[in-house]
Amino acid sequence: MQTLEQIKARLEAGVPGAQIQIVPNAGPANQPSLLIDAGHALPAARLLRDDAEYRFDYASNVTGVDWPAKVTKEKIKIKRVVAGLEKEVEETVEKNSPAYLEAVYHLYSMARKEGPLVLRLRTENRADKVTLPSLTPIWRSCEFQEREVFDLFGIVFEGHPDLRRILMWDGFVDHPMRKDYVAPTQEVAA
Amino acid sequence: MGMIHESRAMPEIDQRQQLSRQGVILTTVEDLYNWGRKNSIWPLQFGLACCAIEMIAASMARFDIARFGAEVFRPSPRQADLMIVAGTVTKKMAPQVVRLYNQMPEPKYVIAMGACAISGGPFRQGYNVVNGIDRYLPVDVHIAGCPPRPEALLEGLMALQQKIAAQRLTGAGRPRHLDGAQSGEFPAPRLEEHDLAPIANPQIWRPTAVKE
Amino acid sequence: MNTPPFSPGLFLAVFAAAAAVFALAPLAMAWLWARTFSPPKPGPVKNAIYECGLESQGAGWLQFKSEYYLYGIVFLVFDVETVFLLPFAAAFKALHPAACVAMLIFILLLAEGLVWACAKGVLKWE
Repeated sequence: MQTLEQIKARLEAGVPGAQIQIVPNAGPANQPSLLIDAGHALPAARLLRDDAEYRFDYASNVTGVDWPAKVTKEKIKIKRVVAGLEKEVEETVEKNSPAYLEAVYHLYSMARKEGPLVLRLRTENRADKVTLPSLTPIWRSCEFQEREVFDLFGIVFEGHPDLRRILMWDGFVDHPMRKDYVAPTQEVAA
Repeated sequence: MGMIHESRAMPEIDQRQQLSRQGVILTTVEDLYNWGRKNSIWPLQFGLACCAIEMIAASMARFDIARFGAEVFRPSPRQADLMIVAGTVTKKMAPQVVRLYNQMPEPKYVIAMGACAISGGPFRQGYNVVNGIDRYLPVDVHIAGCPPRPEALLEGLMALQQKIAAQRLTGAGRPRHLDGAQSGEFPAPRLEEHDLAPIANPQIWRPTAVKE
Repeated sequence: MNTPPFSPGLFLAVFAAAAAVFALAPLAMAWLWARTFSPPKPGPVKNAIYECGLESQGAGWLQFKSEYYLYGIVFLVFDVETVFLLPFAAAFKALHPAACVAMLIFILLLAEGLVWACAKGVLKWE
């Protein structure tokens, strides 16, 4: 399989206007992924499936991730003028991570026996702009899995042929896998 | 956990054994009725999750539930005596479990097989798991295990058989199916917006009080 | 030949009564048992239509396919034909040759009816 940088270059050439980033994933798995913007996800996915070099014809897994808003403090050393002398001091810098929901796709190529390629799609926020394009028209196996992501995270997939809850019952209103979900108590007052 | 053994102190049982050694068998209508019932318990074909595989194994050749008269798993609740709740009871499935129990004719029994059916098991903190089917149905035998081996299911079946053998025909302690005043149906929980309602049937399930 | 001391009708009557008792005694015992020990407890919840634990929606009445009725009629016709054919076959050797011709005409008439039914598409199951 080509490297992620090569795939990114090919996608940027083949889908004009696409904004693609490589998201590192340090750790034992070492599986960096491609972050594609939601507006160009469908043509990018079609290219990945149909291009002779890639032929990613099987989406084996679709899952969701909930990223709540986070403030990270980092200690960095910068040069500052302190009392007339230039010194290197440690300062804490705050970094605000925005809140969003993410759908992660794992793609394999059965024809070329390659993979996995990990794609990420991010929503704008966790509150009201939670739509993403559905990749079910490209890979049929996304149908049930996108229903599960909708059920548990609340991401609304536009273009999905049958978007409804799959694990929880139809009248249920919460999204249990969000970080701020609190399960109702099962204890009965004695 | 020990099995219930018949008391050998009762003189009539001793007398019966003496007579049976000489070829004379005495019994009572009660014993005959219970013997017929306990040796032909027909379970409802009702497996929910992994414990169902162990239940199926118990019905196959190696462990052979047919020895106990219980190999006829009925697909319809109308013909079944026993509901073996084998597997995790999700909240989405709970109303259907109770409705199936309601549609069984009396006498009917429930075995809660496995940790999930007893108390929710490893998924107890889950958002879609009922913490034990005994919140909604009266359970006669609990079989611990995750999953319990087929031999454990057979021991649970034998414990149920002993329970049936000890049931009386008349009197205040008679079982529910002989008492016209007690209803054999239980309300099925409703699926509400956030949870099941009610989360337990107060007539059946009382939480154990923990002394602080 | 000596006549038997009891008339054969008496034996028949005794055995018929015994047969009736064998059939009715279990039913009577079950009814008595239900009255004394085990009262029936029907109810709307218990008698609800079985649908794998779900609440049934909609009516349970289905429209019968008309093909069933047509198959029944065709069967009846050929069954009656068989009733005539069998004694004919049993007494075949003792009959006049003209009887064979008559039977052939009978079969031909019914075969023509079958051909008409086939041609009309009655026997096709859609």
